[in-house]
Amino acid sequence: MRARLIAAGAVICALPGIAPAAGDDGALFSVERAGTRLVEDVYRLDAYIDYRFSPAVLDALENGVPLTVEVRVEVIRPRWWWWDAEVAVVSQHSLLQFHALSRQYLLTSLNTGAQLSFSRLQAALEAMGTLRDIPLLDRKLLAPEVQYQARLRAQLDIESLPSPLRPVAYLSTEWRLASEWFEWPLPS
Amino acid sequence: MASAVLKRLTSGWLPVVLLVALLLVSLLLMGDATENSARFGRMFSILLVVNVLGILALLALIGIHLFRLLRQYQRGVAGSRMTVRMVAIFAVLSVAPVLVVYYFSMQFLHRGIDSWFDVRVEKALEDALDLGRLSLDLRMREVLRQSEQLAVEMRDVSEALTALTLDELRGRSGATELVLWASSGRVMASSSADETTLVPSRPSEGILLQVRQSGSYVGLDPIQDLGLHVRVVVAVAPGEAAAEGRILQALFRIPARADTLATSVERAYSEYKELAFLRVPLKYSFTLTLSLVLLLSLLTAVLAAFYSARRLAAPIRDLAEGTRAVAAGDYSKEVPATAHDELGFLVQSFNSMTRGIARASAEALHSQHLLEEHNAYLEAVLGDLSSGVITLDEELRVQRANSAAANILGADPATWIGQRLLSLAPEGPVMRQVLAALRRRLEAGAEEWSEELELSAEGSRRVLVCSGTRLSDATSARGYVIVIDDVTALVQAQRDAAWGEVARRLAHEIKNPLTPIQLSAERLRQKYLGRLDAQEARSLDRYTHTIIQQVKTMQEMVNAFSDYARPPPLSLAPLDLNRLIGEVLELYRHSTPGARFQVELAEALPPLLADSGRLRQLLHNLLKNAIEAVADAQAGRIRVSTCSVAGDARPMLELRVCDNGSDIPGSIADRLFEPYVTSKPKGTGLGLAIVKKIVEEHGGTIWPEAQPEGGTCLVVRLRGEQRDADGDAAPTRALPGAVGAGR
Repeated sequence: MRARLIAAGAVICALPGIAPAAGDDGALFSVERAGTRLVEDVYRLDAYIDYRFSPAVLDALENGVPLTVEVRVEVIRPRWWWWDAEVAVVSQHSLLQFHALSRQYLLTSLNTGAQLSFSRLQAALEAMGTLRDIPLLDRKLLAPEVQYQARLRAQLDIESLPSPLRPVAYLSTEWRLASEWFEWPLPS
Repeated sequence: MASAVLKRLTSGWLPVVLLVALLLVSLLLMGDATENSARFGRMFSILLVVNVLGILALLALIGIHLFRLLRQYQRGVAGSRMTVRMVAIFAVLSVAPVLVVYYFSMQFLHRGIDSWFDVRVEKALEDALDLGRLSLDLRMREVLRQSEQLAVEMRDVSEALTALTLDELRGRSGATELVLWASSGRVMASSSADETTLVPSRPSEGILLQVRQSGSYVGLDPIQDLGLHVRVVVAVAPGEAAAEGRILQALFRIPARADTLATSVERAYSEYKELAFLRVPLKYSFTLTLSLVLLLSLLTAVLAAFYSARRLAAPIRDLAEGTRAVAAGDYSKEVPATAHDELGFLVQSFNSMTRGIARASAEALHSQHLLEEHNAYLEAVLGDLSSGVITLDEELRVQRANSAAANILGADPATWIGQRLLSLAPEGPVMRQVLAALRRRLEAGAEEWSEELELSAEGSRRVLVCSGTRLSDATSARGYVIVIDDVTALVQAQRDAAWGEVARRLAHEIKNPLTPIQLSAERLRQKYLGRLDAQEARSLDRYTHTIIQQVKTMQEMVNAFSDYARPPPLSLAPLDLNRLIGEVLELYRHSTPGARFQVELAEALPPLLADSGRLRQLLHNLLKNAIEAVADAQAGRIRVSTCSVAGDARPMLELRVCDNGSDIPGSIADRLFEPYVTSKPKGTGLGLAIVKKIVEEHGGTIWPEAQPEGGTCLVVRLRGEQRDADGDAAPTRALPGAVGAGR
């Protein structure tokens, strides 16, 4: 019982530390490249993210646990005297699950509802990591002659996991998968 | 302020009840969330945090209570020991069963979760899935063959006819969708049973690669909202119409029944698999929830133990404090009443007891005050009494003696208190004689007595009446009360009054026959003087002359008695004593050759208010007395002197008439101023008595003093008037013919 109490306590201690942390075994999300283009006064995002899951996460996926990955894009106005101002936030949620009967990996974009099926996991991860032509924000919403920064981060959404798994996921580095912020200036 | 809020938050029961209720609700929600329910699943983490924080808050509350209790225990606050013991008992009583339940719950939980999973069930599910695949394989092979035929048919179809042919082929083959791609990836034509599908689903790169290598791909594809499909991709070989190869994708629907069954099997398998995978985390989650529930129950029970213990101990603590207060003498403390149980009864009894004690002590205090007042009153009365009062206890120890007693005995009574009266060392002749008289009576055990003591001390005679009474048995105090009265002045006054009466009677009785005697003698002489011969006539003349002379003398004497007995009223007026002395002396200076006068008159005497006639008589009497005293002396010398002496309130005049004649015999020294007390062969004996009477009428004093070189000095002291600014003497009160203060 005592060990469990300690575990319960550890959950509390770990909760504030949801900050991105690199998993071991090379399990790492990394933003390979990201950038914005201005097409007809709308900023569009192109990015490629390399998803590498840890064995525990892969094991869960094979056992039918659906995984949700969030790609969060923020447009910010840096301020030296205060925290940066968030101008726009766009989140892309992708759901990855394994279909046992067909042995297919199903990738569903929770934003659009579009579903793709892949017989190989790597193909599914590549498809998930490739973001193309995502409309980000209208240029008219931005003040002219102000330098904005865009930044992007991908992470495994622990809150979407089945609840029994969440305490474990919060405690284990194998589950806390997230990339560093990738930041670039927004072309004006 | 903040501490007050904290105290209210930690001592009131309402916040705690709210906290516990909130925790209970959130634990219920968490229990629900643990089972992965849709409603609370998303709140699981928040609930977890809320619960842990709530339990930490409870822990903090308990910590505060524990700290406070231990501090009270260390300080020895009343009731704290009992509270500690009760808290411990309550805590153990509530914690032990909860722990037992917790242990068995954990056992059941783990075994229960383990029992859900069974190798056979898993195998059966896998088999069912395989069976599904097998049955679908047949269908897939069939549609592959069909698709390959379609590809053959499409080979020679020109591009213009592609769309039409595809429609026709789709209708014939029963496919849901047929799409023809150019090798560049462009959609050449498509035909779909579902009109709404505008963009055909494109096969992934992997499939295309496989088709390029092996010519065909067949696989199951669970298409969103449309159910399970068989996706077939085949290469269309270059033919007459098209120079380059194309790719045909056909989607076939699985028969509805097979689709339902396969989906059902797939879902069951998938859920079982997930559950099996989540077995360990699930156990942890349940354990966590259960532990939180346990902690909540435990902490609430402990907290409740604190509250109930304090509540139970409160009246006992109050009682203990009340007892302490009563022991310290504070009877005003009321213990607050509690419920109507045995403790409440105890509290009520305690309160009525304290009230009783308070009333009794107030009464005692009141009586003590009364007694003190009474004593003070007695003290004041005794102090103002002119009689000396001494009280003795049974052992004849002095209990009380007033100042009058001290004055009479000439000693300080304060030193007597508590000492045996008879063993006191006498501080003077008066005291010695009084003590001797008392000893006689006390040692004889007299019940009540009264005795007149005539004492002589320092040349003066004093009469004391000493009476004693043994205190009766009725009073608690047993012993004696001794009252000593100085009646010297009274006795003197009585004597004077008696003499006055004698003189008055004598005068009256003697005066009446004197006139007829004188008249008879005169007539006798007148009638027979002429008839008798010369010799007889001479004898008659001598006899009658003697009679008349003696009668005159007697008349003078009677007048003197009369004056002494009934003096005329005083007429007071300012008087110069020195001048009066001068006038009177002038009369004697020539008529008394045997005496030599020596006059020493002080200047600036205080003004004197007196009756000049009476004072003249006083001087005459004094001088006569002195002249008579020195009549036998060889060189008679009379010294008359005046001086001023400071008195108590006003200045005094002192007149001294001294002679160097014979001394006053000791036998009459005490009664020198009484009538008929004289050492001289002739004289009425009234001279000095009248002097004394005059002095006393003027409020003065007179006493004899023996001269060291022989002879007597009579000292008269009269009260002078205050010297006013304008020289007038203030009128003094009329002095009655009363007895002056004896010396």
